[in-house]
Amino acid sequence: MILHVDMDAFFASIEQAINPRLKDKPLIVGSRGNKMHTVVCAASYAAKALGIYSGMPSREAFARCPNLEFVEADQSKYIWTSEQIFELLKSFNFPLNYASIDEFQMDLGAHENPVSLGNELRKQIYADFNITASVGIAKNWLLAKLASKLNKPDGLALINDENFEAVLRKTSLDELCGMGGKTGQVFIAQGLKTCWDLYLNLPAFFDNNPSKFDENPGKSSELPKSVSHSYTLPKVQINHQVIQAWIRLLAEMVGTRLRQQNLVSATVHLWLNGPEIGNFGAQKTYPNQATNDGFEIYQRASKVMARLAAKNPRIRAIGVTCSSLSLSVYQPLFSEEIRREGLIKALDRINNRFGEGSIYPAITSFTR
Amino acid sequence: MNQNSFSPKARWDRFEPDKTGFNPDCLNERIEVLAFFKHTKIFPKSFIWNNKEYKIETITYNWQERIGQALINYFSVLSSGQMYQISFNNSTFRWQIDKLMQ
Repeated sequence: MILHVDMDAFFASIEQAINPRLKDKPLIVGSRGNKMHTVVCAASYAAKALGIYSGMPSREAFARCPNLEFVEADQSKYIWTSEQIFELLKSFNFPLNYASIDEFQMDLGAHENPVSLGNELRKQIYADFNITASVGIAKNWLLAKLASKLNKPDGLALINDENFEAVLRKTSLDELCGMGGKTGQVFIAQGLKTCWDLYLNLPAFFDNNPSKFDENPGKSSELPKSVSHSYTLPKVQINHQVIQAWIRLLAEMVGTRLRQQNLVSATVHLWLNGPEIGNFGAQKTYPNQATNDGFEIYQRASKVMARLAAKNPRIRAIGVTCSSLSLSVYQPLFSEEIRREGLIKALDRINNRFGEGSIYPAITSFTR
Repeated sequence: MNQNSFSPKARWDRFEPDKTGFNPDCLNERIEVLAFFKHTKIFPKSFIWNNKEYKIETITYNWQERIGQALINYFSVLSSGQMYQISFNNSTFRWQIDKLMQ
């Protein structure tokens, strides 16, 4: 049996635990900056009841509810809380895995009373953090995740052989994990409306869903496929220097993460979004010239950007991705390379000691 | 997903507070704190800010963040009907008031 824990309105709930004045009020958590020029990262249940949802522009949210409370997102709180919940769940001694920052899965095996265990988990989470969780229990992770949504918020649901058909009949297809996007549209276009319709046509999808657990959760020996960072700018930007500064910053962030994992990358992909260009994405591979130097990554990304047909396009969002990853084994031979490597190591030591961003490429100051 | 924890995004865009003027959302002023240390946890009891003592009635939440080698402990506290966020840096041993919470 798999037990799936899904925190209720995670970011918003944490902010309400921090500031009791916000409890039971319609509240959104948005990114930093002007609260009228951002998107909703998370909405409290009172806000959701007014039709406000994650991803909605904040301006629209405030139009629906002028008295909406707004809190700037603070990732450190949410990450720390997520890690503490993970530690709490670990104490139950079952194989445990992250599904996302606010979702966790435990492999209960043949535990004789999973419902009682699920309720105990919810109770302990509330006692320690003053926030609620919903739990789903089923024979595999897909059904357990579905079950966790059935009695939200602060609820528990079990999908077993007795209620399997009834639950699937009343659940629309797009509520199933993996069916919300284009894949779901394909099935819906063929006339499948509910999860039961899908089960009748594809029973293996529900019965044979592989477990997400490895023998050593969290310690995969596989290399990641890519490392990337992207950012939506506070406002549309046309200043070429500012755009280059953001690409430099994102390239440096990617390079830092590559170096932390002792990886190098041969392929750089640049993604840009703007009103005139829509979504632009292109990449270039440098065989036998893999790198984890942020400046090198930035130069390669800039060459990709030069392929843009539009001159001085307005840019709304930027992303830099490095792929074709391998372990770093190259030892620099030439004096300039050795000097450069020494410089990068020194910068990493400073940032590791005093915090990321303590020392940074000068051009990135244009992003502040 | 198969990981034990998340790496916080790089704080390259860390906001630098405006040094002039009073900004309740970003005070970052040193305070003196009376705190109770029990096992691995810290329980602030009162603090002095601008020569005035604030008795902490409730700690509503606390969390931690690592910045470089420093571990920052944050506390949201209630005193006389006003919420404050204070923090302790275990590297510099500095207590500060981060902001007034609206």
